Amino acid sequence: MKGLIIWRLQRYSALIIFAYLAYVLSFFVQSQEVSFFTWSDFFLSFQMRSLTSIIFILLLFHAFIGLWTVGTDYLTKRTLGLLNQSLTKYADLIRNLYFLCFGLMGFIYLTLILYIIWL
Amino acid sequence: MLNNKLEVSMYRYNPEVDKFPYMKTYSISKPSKDIMVLDLLNLLKEEDQSISYRRSCREGVCGSDGMNINGKNGLACITPISSVIKKNKIELRPLPGLPVIRDLVVDMSEFYAQYEKIKPFLQNETTAPEQERLQSPEDRDKLDGLYECILCACCSTSCPSFWWNPDKFVGPAALLQAYRFLADSRDLKTYERLEALSDPFSVYRCHGIMNCVNVCPKGLNPNKAIGEIKSMLQKNKKDIIVSDKL
Repeated sequence: MKGLIIWRLQRYSALIIFAYLAYVLSFFVQSQEVSFFTWSDFFLSFQMRSLTSIIFILLLFHAFIGLWTVGTDYLTKRTLGLLNQSLTKYADLIRNLYFLCFGLMGFIYLTLILYIIWL
Repeated sequence: MLNNKLEVSMYRYNPEVDKFPYMKTYSISKPSKDIMVLDLLNLLKEEDQSISYRRSCREGVCGSDGMNINGKNGLACITPISSVIKKNKIELRPLPGLPVIRDLVVDMSEFYAQYEKIKPFLQNETTAPEQERLQSPEDRDKLDGLYECILCACCSTSCPSFWWNPDKFVGPAALLQAYRFLADSRDLKTYERLEALSDPFSVYRCHGIMNCVNVCPKGLNPNKAIGEIKSMLQKNKKDIIVSDKL
């Protein structure tokens, strides 16, 4: 069932992120006055901070699945071998380095985002 | 005078002689009537005996002569040259993504391996009736648009997901057949079939770009069948699925 979990996670996360964006947009539409203070009031509530944190975690999952798909499509022995046959023996290494790179990037982004939201 | 000549550019590769594949252009008198691409190949073979391609029934039933004709996969025997000709030129290449054995002949082992993987036969362990397992006309109707596949591989070899992962992604042709047995009221291994397709590659590598639908020479819709499989996977509960069929 792993395929179904990944498939659902990617689609449901996209829907939730879209709903979040619509909610944030509704602030701008509904507010009579948009200023730093009204925005702070809206954004710094505990509920909004929690929601934003969850959304960024979902965003990272969503991006990870997309990039994992790209990696397993284009960084394989077959596809790298099309560019240059000598790359085939390094294909697994290149793909794992690619995963490690955006895994690390995701971790750094998440740490920074949580730091900005909560501290 | 120029319009009376037809230029046929053909992918040539004989691993025993050629180091690399190359395109060879043949100039041939334009036939007086509309003929099929296979007929054109036969005319060329009279000129150059070394040309290799597969063919058998010459009427779109056996699926042997699948090839890439002016950039689109199709069966040479049922493709009139008038429908593909561009500026008096036709370009013929082997089906993309599969290893080339020689000229337009490809090695279809990976394609057949995926077909074998989906177990393309009825599985029903209940006691067999004296004559045959019966089916209601409504249940039989569910198989229309599925059983007609001739395994020409035009769809799977036009699918980028199959190009990149032919060992993991089942491909549109085999998935169409997988659904043919999932939809069959006489087959009772629905749960097991779905379990075998539930990994992230077998079905879920299809992103619905519909190249398969665009090229199928029999006018079938593998994309719809894949959508049905994904729907079945959403509600994959052993009891529900089996009780639906009994």
